[in-house]
Amino acid sequence: MSALKRYWRVALGMVVIAALIIAPMYLNRYGLFILSQWAVMTIAATGLNLTLGYAGQVSLAQGAFVGIGAYAAAIMTANGMPLIAGLGVAIVLCFAIGWILGYPALRVQHHYLAFVTLAFSTLAFLVFRNESWLTNGIYGISNIPRPTILGYPTNRPLPFYYVCLGSLALVSLATWWLIRSPWGRAFVALRENPVRALSLGIDTRRYTLMAFAIGSALGGVAGTLYAPLTQYIDPVPFNLSLSLDLLMMVIVGGSGFFFGPFLGAMIAVLLPEWLRFTQGYYLMIYAVAVILLLIYSPTGILGILDRYLTERRTKAASALRAVAKSGLEPAP
Amino acid sequence: MTAVLEISNIKKNFGGITAVDGVSFDVQEGEILGLIGPNGCGKSTLFNCILGQLQPSGGEVKVDGKVVTGFRPSDLNRLGVSRTFQLLQVFPKLSVRENLILAGQEHQGNMLSRLLGPSDAGLTKAAEQMIDFFKLGHLADEPAGGLSYGQQKLLDAAMAFMGGPRLVLLDEPAGGVNLTMLGDLKARLAEINREKRATFVVIEHNMEFVMSLCSRVVVMAEGKVLAIGTPAEIRANSAVIDAYLGH
Repeated sequence: MSALKRYWRVALGMVVIAALIIAPMYLNRYGLFILSQWAVMTIAATGLNLTLGYAGQVSLAQGAFVGIGAYAAAIMTANGMPLIAGLGVAIVLCFAIGWILGYPALRVQHHYLAFVTLAFSTLAFLVFRNESWLTNGIYGISNIPRPTILGYPTNRPLPFYYVCLGSLALVSLATWWLIRSPWGRAFVALRENPVRALSLGIDTRRYTLMAFAIGSALGGVAGTLYAPLTQYIDPVPFNLSLSLDLLMMVIVGGSGFFFGPFLGAMIAVLLPEWLRFTQGYYLMIYAVAVILLLIYSPTGILGILDRYLTERRTKAASALRAVAKSGLEPAP
Repeated sequence: MTAVLEISNIKKNFGGITAVDGVSFDVQEGEILGLIGPNGCGKSTLFNCILGQLQPSGGEVKVDGKVVTGFRPSDLNRLGVSRTFQLLQVFPKLSVRENLILAGQEHQGNMLSRLLGPSDAGLTKAAEQMIDFFKLGHLADEPAGGLSYGQQKLLDAAMAFMGGPRLVLLDEPAGGVNLTMLGDLKARLAEINREKRATFVVIEHNMEFVMSLCSRVVVMAEGKVLAIGTPAEIRANSAVIDAYLGH
């Protein structure tokens, strides 16, 4: 049975990947922009999912790391350096700052940690806005070039979408590897029971800092793609509301589920487009929908699916036990 | 015989309350030492002081002759000191097998090898052996949260042994476990003690469990050591009978 389920899963994955590659060829410029934005936000949300969903550390600063990545890419490429150099700087910078931001998490948790990270988010926004010598302040940085990859210019929307999609694929593979490694298990242990984890030799301090650093670095990766995607950045998109949006993506999709951010980012990016006809009421409808979802399933959309599958497995198992008890042959 | 654990004059104050008041004793290699006493007499606090969960207000802890007072629990664990908790402490969302792999993974390699190496850290076989040893075979792939209380207790104990510890401190391993499983648990502990020469300190209220498993028993009352001796000596000690065992 589980082998069959595995086939279905692989088949579903193939269909989704094929659709993500083929369908955009028939999309217009705006559709491609939205889809690229989805890929970029999924990367940032995947990073937050690592910090929050797996390791259980609340962060309201992921938007700031997207900003740091975006400014690193924008400043460097606008000065003639290749995007890959911007990517390297963004990763190193966000990893280091994320590591430092992790220190408060060693002392405070939950709401208190949220406040500390919120303060950092505000600080980053002020730096983007006020340090004009570096960021050009409220005027922002324009004419951010898109990269040339293996001699291929990606100026047009479709090639650049493939850059975003390819980056998402690489990030997903790396994250998948990470959460299946002993590190991933240690992150979950950190979330579920730090005291017990410590008594099993798990250096919770180091893993907490790592969870912050890696999650933040992925925010930086997203930022490096965001800058050439919009080709113009100013401080506004990286204020606190981006951090809150990313938090919503993780929670709505399903915090601690690998595909949660994919789903959450899709809803957060596409829903405004679908609800456009409601005009001013869009945010209200979105808010009500999210509240209802979280009342029904605090573990997000994938949490509903997970609950359903667990229930079915439990039922099947108890049916098998009953059959075993009664001495009947189970149906073939 | 050499002492695996030596504690001398351990004290712990919480504000004005003295929970542990100058406790000293040694645990010899291969020994199973019982630690008994009425509720609130400081047994668990003493455990937490030995294991670095709490910083003792005074005194010294030595493991294999090395002073480890104030070491972090994770460092102590990697030195071969393991524990179980009074209240259940398994990772409910991870499967039984993953709980065991997690319990052993930090005892080998380094951070890098744990990131780039195999997902199971090469511990699947050791975990399977532990699962067989504790008779949890049919539950290996179940999430630990779905196990019965007694099964989780067994898993909890099994996790403490994954790193191949020299010294294990067990805090009420028999609490809430039914009689059949209790017999199992006792047999497992005795076997590990015999074959791996592992040393145990056991806090327990179940007198039969303590008296039949332990070679020596320490009795605590009001934060102090009341008596130390073989089970027979303890049973005959009038101070212990007055304070704890009853007539």
